[in-house]
Amino acid sequence: MIILIVVYILILVLNVPGLIKRKEWRELTAFSVLYVIAFTLGLLYVLDVPIPSPMKGLQHLIADVLGIKYPKH
Amino acid sequence: MTKKINILTSKLVICFLMLFILLGCSGGREINDLEIVIGMGVDKDENSENILLTAQVVKEGEMEKSSGSGGGEGDGKAFWNVFGTGKSVFEAVRQITHKTGNRLFVSHNHVVICGKDLALEGLQKYIDFFLRAHEMRPTTIILIAEDRALDVMNAKPETEKLPAMNITKLVKTYGFTSHFYKVNMKDFASCLMCGTRAPIAPLVGISQDKDNKDIYVSGMAVFNNDKMVGRLTEDETRGLLWVLGKVESGVLLISSPNKQGKVAFEILEAKSKVIPEVKDGKIVMHVKIKGKSSLSEQTTAEDLATIEAFEKMQKAQTEAIRQEIMAAFDKSKELNADIFGFGEMIRKKHINKWKSLKDKWDEIYPTIELNTDIEVKIQKTDLLKKPVSPGKEEK
Amino acid sequence: MSIEKGKICNLQLLFLITGFVQSSVLLIDFTVVITEHQTWMVILAGLAIAIPFILSYVALAKRFHGMNLIQINDAVFGRFLGKVISVYYIFFLMMTLSFNILDVGELYATFLMPDTPFIILLIFFTATCAYAVYKGLEVLARVSHLFVVVGVIVIVSTFLLLIDQMDFSNFLPLFELPFIRIFHGIHIMLSIPFGETIAFLMIMGYINKTEHMVKNTLIGLFIGTASLLIAAVRNTAVLGNTEAIWTSPSFQSTRLIDIGTVLTRMDFLIGIAQTILIFFKCSILFYALVVAVSQLFGLKSYLPLVLPLAGIEVIIAATVFQSPVDHAAITQDAGIIYSVPLMFVIPPLSLLIAKIRALPKAERGKGV
Repeated sequence: MIILIVVYILILVLNVPGLIKRKEWRELTAFSVLYVIAFTLGLLYVLDVPIPSPMKGLQHLIADVLGIKYPKH
Repeated sequence: MTKKINILTSKLVICFLMLFILLGCSGGREINDLEIVIGMGVDKDENSENILLTAQVVKEGEMEKSSGSGGGEGDGKAFWNVFGTGKSVFEAVRQITHKTGNRLFVSHNHVVICGKDLALEGLQKYIDFFLRAHEMRPTTIILIAEDRALDVMNAKPETEKLPAMNITKLVKTYGFTSHFYKVNMKDFASCLMCGTRAPIAPLVGISQDKDNKDIYVSGMAVFNNDKMVGRLTEDETRGLLWVLGKVESGVLLISSPNKQGKVAFEILEAKSKVIPEVKDGKIVMHVKIKGKSSLSEQTTAEDLATIEAFEKMQKAQTEAIRQEIMAAFDKSKELNADIFGFGEMIRKKHINKWKSLKDKWDEIYPTIELNTDIEVKIQKTDLLKKPVSPGKEEK
Repeated sequence: MSIEKGKICNLQLLFLITGFVQSSVLLIDFTVVITEHQTWMVILAGLAIAIPFILSYVALAKRFHGMNLIQINDAVFGRFLGKVISVYYIFFLMMTLSFNILDVGELYATFLMPDTPFIILLIFFTATCAYAVYKGLEVLARVSHLFVVVGVIVIVSTFLLLIDQMDFSNFLPLFELPFIRIFHGIHIMLSIPFGETIAFLMIMGYINKTEHMVKNTLIGLFIGTASLLIAAVRNTAVLGNTEAIWTSPSFQSTRLIDIGTVLTRMDFLIGIAQTILIFFKCSILFYALVVAVSQLFGLKSYLPLVLPLAGIEVIIAATVFQSPVDHAAITQDAGIIYSVPLMFVIPPLSLLIAKIRALPKAERGKGV
């Protein structure tokens, strides 16, 4: 938990000052978006909240809905 | 200037902090904490339905003492047999930690000995752990004890400190006589997996000689699927090895041409080729064997280093080999166990015909015919050209 | 407006592709459950079928010199559809990268370091990949030589050390398995070692001379596939019919090396080589992902996005599958199906459209 927060603060510190100084606003927005997503996912993981798995959804979609799958060997 | 110092200091601080995180993996185990297991034995517990697991653990302190000395503390044994019971092998293994305080380190395990009662009951239930466990190696040799595995593990050998290493050495040097064969876990599992081939494993027995217990290999155990159904004697095993092409060396004994003595040959090399033939539902196996031998001992004073004698002896050798092979074959037919792997050979060469034969293999196997074509060449006579014989005086 | 300022040369492309294909050596272990002793022919068939598709990727890269995949999509399909397809690619890259990181995690968790907590393994591995990507493409291309050599040495030496335990009759009967299994195996081969080279479309744009691209790509593919083939042949010959039951036949066959009681326990070699090779593949995939995302957002440099994406990848890798059983089952089914349009339909389609519309237009100023 603490490691998570420390690591993310570190990432922030390493990247943001440089971006602000060079006035790269577009990069800053992209960075912030991804940063928030990464931090939320990390937080959910540490708090043992089940994160939905995209592959399970895809498997359900492809195998059950579309019906394309290989027979069990 | 100060900025450079700041950057340098921050880098040094980070490196220092990393020392704490990167201090080796959390799964590391120190050598003193290891209980190094070199052999394991599995038996049925007398009183209950459980399994008795014997693990032979090395005692490092004792290993340094020479094996002959009886003085000093302790009984001079460099090993310790620990027992554990449980309903499954893994449970028994973990039970042993009640006695050792450390987890067993089975990476050096050389041999697994199964008691005869387990072999008769069926080994399928017990070998899963030995294949699946993370530290086990597929090169582990599997053996069946004539009676109980823990007796074999207890028998202290004369020249080796550790019984398990002794047994391993015994089995690995099968090539000297080719009277038995080394079977490792992978081979055993491979035979079990294909439904038609019968696994084999060496049988280990103990001979009591006053107060010395000697371990010796007494034959091979034959299994049908996973239950032991019979045994092969030394000659029968060699017959099997002739067909499989695994004979490395050994002694072939035949009667000398003048029927007055015996001649012993050392087998130098043997190659075999088996060609399966399936015709009209009848299976014939053509076995071609090419061997080389050398004259190693003769008990008669007759001079055998002549071309005619060689021819006669080659024929006699061929006959001796043929008898060994047929003995093995007859025994396998009697036990209805395909120890040669003929089923597999047919599957590989004639897959179409195999599909119809596969299910009835148990009935078909006793009807197989063996057709042998053996050729042995005598290559040398070692150091004597003529035998030592009383000189005939010229009269 | 190139995001990457470096350039790679042709020889480096060869090594990059070789290393990329070689790193699927442990994938063979996963296919063995389906194709058993016929894995070697599945590899060769996969290569034969994949070659035209991979050549179409090279042709696209040649045609749109200096542009990476996202830019190509924009040019060919127009701004809106191009961006949609690019998002599909980015999703694919994210998933693939997380599968590979998960592969390494499982490798360590099962064989090498079973007691270490799983997430720590993933974090350290991803952090190293992120560092490699941070350094840039040129650095990756330069170390590719070393990694490929290590991979080849390990694969060839383990093969040679096991020759006396090989039984080549294990390859018979040649055509025992039903065709559906072979087809499934070929599909897996196509999607994983060969299809994932679509990621190279992000890299091929930065090659400095395009004349020998085709030759170098093909040689790289052949050497990579030869490594896979040697590994598959070694496993089948040594293990025979037990091949399909082990979790990792490569490890088990290397454990059987026992020469003179000195050369034993060589499975660490496989561990080292596999870690290095998968690290290499993950770095390439990660690079492709980072550049793709930054190109999509229209950024000038990809560097700030490296760490957040690494964080996302670690969590996805840790949560996407529950266990290796899940991983194997889903990858065999949905995992290879959803990527089929991406690898085998869209690139040839792009090439066709580019040919018809005579793209890239000269006014783009890239000088084909």
